Amino acid sequence: MKFADMQYRFSEFWSEFKKERSGLVGLAILVLSLLVVIFEPVILPWKEANSKWRNIDYWQDNSASAPPAWTNAFTKLKAPVTVRLDEGEKEEAYLDGGIQLVTYTFEYDYGADKAPLDVIFHVTGHGDIPVQVSVERPDGVMLDFAQRFEQGLAGQDIRISLDNDGREAAFSFIKNYESESALERYSGRSLRTGDILFNVAREGMAEEFEPLKGTYKLMVKAMLLDPENFSIENPYVVVTGSVSGILGTDDSKRDLFSGLVAGLKWALLIGLLTSAISVLIGVLYGIISAYFGGAVDSVMQFIYQIVNSVPVLPVLIVISAIFKPNIYMLIGVMVLFFWTGSVMTVRSMALQIKEETYIEAAKALGAKKSRIIFKHMVPILIPYSFASMALSVPSAIVYESSVSLLGLGDATIVTWGQILHDAMQGAAILKGMWWWVLPPGLLIAIMGMTFAFLGFSMDKILHPKLKTR
Amino acid sequence: MYKWFALKRVLKGIVTYVIIIFIMSVLFNTVNEQTMRSNIEEQVRAESARLKNMQPAAIQRFQEQRRQDLIHLYRLDRPFMERILYRTWNTLTFNFGKSTIIKSSRGEREVLTIIGEALPRSLILFTLAAAIEIVVGIILGLKKAQKPGGSLDRSTSLITMIVYGMPTFWLAMILIMFFVYQLKIFPSAGMHSIPPPQGIMYFLDLLWHMTLPLLTLLLIGFWGVSYMVRNIVLSILQEDYIMAARARGIPENKVLFGHTLRTAAPPLITMSVLQLLASISGAIIFEGIFSWPGLGNLYWIAVQQNDIPVLMGDLAITVGLYQLGLIVLDLSYGFMDPRIKVGGKA
Repeated sequence: MKFADMQYRFSEFWSEFKKERSGLVGLAILVLSLLVVIFEPVILPWKEANSKWRNIDYWQDNSASAPPAWTNAFTKLKAPVTVRLDEGEKEEAYLDGGIQLVTYTFEYDYGADKAPLDVIFHVTGHGDIPVQVSVERPDGVMLDFAQRFEQGLAGQDIRISLDNDGREAAFSFIKNYESESALERYSGRSLRTGDILFNVAREGMAEEFEPLKGTYKLMVKAMLLDPENFSIENPYVVVTGSVSGILGTDDSKRDLFSGLVAGLKWALLIGLLTSAISVLIGVLYGIISAYFGGAVDSVMQFIYQIVNSVPVLPVLIVISAIFKPNIYMLIGVMVLFFWTGSVMTVRSMALQIKEETYIEAAKALGAKKSRIIFKHMVPILIPYSFASMALSVPSAIVYESSVSLLGLGDATIVTWGQILHDAMQGAAILKGMWWWVLPPGLLIAIMGMTFAFLGFSMDKILHPKLKTR
Repeated sequence: MYKWFALKRVLKGIVTYVIIIFIMSVLFNTVNEQTMRSNIEEQVRAESARLKNMQPAAIQRFQEQRRQDLIHLYRLDRPFMERILYRTWNTLTFNFGKSTIIKSSRGEREVLTIIGEALPRSLILFTLAAAIEIVVGIILGLKKAQKPGGSLDRSTSLITMIVYGMPTFWLAMILIMFFVYQLKIFPSAGMHSIPPPQGIMYFLDLLWHMTLPLLTLLLIGFWGVSYMVRNIVLSILQEDYIMAARARGIPENKVLFGHTLRTAAPPLITMSVLQLLASISGAIIFEGIFSWPGLGNLYWIAVQQNDIPVLMGDLAITVGLYQLGLIVLDLSYGFMDPRIKVGGKA
């Protein structure tokens, strides 16, 4: 088959396909998801979500089990959103003895009705560096929170969390307003630093939170004892709110939106690779079985029937439980069972084509069997298998997610099934954390729907018997 | 002859099952033998712990002796091929041995007992779901085929495609979240209240616990059934005898449910058994979400506890069940459609 023929057949197919509205919707979603995969580095809010999904340190500044940020639109009391402030204003001053004082000031506009859970300062240091963090409130009160002296740093991260390191400072601040007896009732433990820092200073502030809205100046001061050799860089502040990101976080503080975006390419890879390989194998298998006939056909049909009478998911679970395969091996195992899908249709069509006169002519001209199969039969039959290719994508994705749901997934990647497994483990259903359960499954379902749209439309075009018009 | 066709089909099914079990025995040989060896060690330790008033050397001799005996008993000292065949035979005769952790409700550790308890619970759930799916699916499918391209046909076909790739376990999670924890009208897990009520209440209680799992299977299942029914019926409705029947003034419902359905019966039966098989092969682990104590839930527990004998037994039974379904499928097909039996002679 020449290229021009292919082009003609494709344009013929396309003019039919254009009429299928659901097929076009499927195509649009597929193109959209391919775009998301291509632009993943731009879209991912947490750039290293792929490699550090199971790294607790990477996610430590997030709040655990936080609902999505947009849920604020439906609640009366607005919760603060987790924000990361990177743009700090740098001030340098020289003290006596050649000591350099570097101050980074970050401005945080606070306008929510609940207090942020924590304010976390980060700075990367080289050498021996004393660091101090302080906050200037909108009412002009300046609070020095914590001091730290780190020695022998070589590019390590200094992390100062107000809730951990600033408790005492916050408590001495609240002491100015509250009586001893009131404070005793609210021991230091039950009050978060955030509840004090973002509270209007008054008597009774321990009892009730009243937000002090306005601009907070969050400051990191570092003393460079030896400005020649010591330095700090990369300062940033994370204000941890009780809502976070586009789709919230799970109970180990991971940003779910990042996980879902990272999982998309795996879902596509699993689905497309499995179905493409298995359909190719299935088409070849069907053609060879039909073309050679006789004993070859009988043996091949017998093998086909055996493979076809194995329940896939149970076998897949046991294989995963025992061999702990990585994702590519899992795809391989799925291919072992999926190729049967297109064999029967292809075989019956190949039986017809085999009798056509042009095949006879090719034989008479002395064409080899491989030439007849690959040149004359495969190109005709491949398009017919596109529908079954598309329709087997969803089952591959669902099987992988079922295996992952049992906790048998490949631990080096992020898939939607694994996120659902974590949700099961974290009792997300019981806690009503819908943002953890709903999106991964919905995405699996949408992927399935996309390929069902494509597959059913192609099916209609390729097998005109089912036409309704 | 139908009986030759039937005999041939059953024999073929048995041969297929034997081959599958054989392949599984080869594939999982290593892990099976590891479990057996650790079981032997455990048994030897338990036996020597009971011995008193013996010299350490004598105990050691005894342990060594017992170990050898047991290894011989389980034929672990035989050549590879013989071990495989022995294991295949054991699996075929449902001799799965003892579980490592999981116990049956009476505390027994026989794998067969554990699976025997789970099997009927799975069957009741899945067959009931399949039955409802088929009844609803057939009615809906006939209505769809009556006016192909109509609004009912198009809207339900759209839903078919939307739920096509929806994971059953996920829908189960969502339904639990909504019905159990929001509305609080269904129990979250299990098969009975504890303690189970007596008499008629027992069945009502069972039904109450079964509602959500059933609903999950139905919501995903019957769209596909109705779509397939539609495609089967659509080609039959174009036949001349249907037109003739309509022309004679036979009521539409009689044409649909009498003439059409009888012709469509063989493929419909195929489809309904396949539907049941598909849920065994694809949706079985959703039982774990509902803690429905069937075969699918057993996979969850066995995987979590790393109980290899139970996992193997569960797999062998599931494969066997699937095989049985395929045999029933072909037999009923042959029974409904006399033309098939011709194949029995060839």
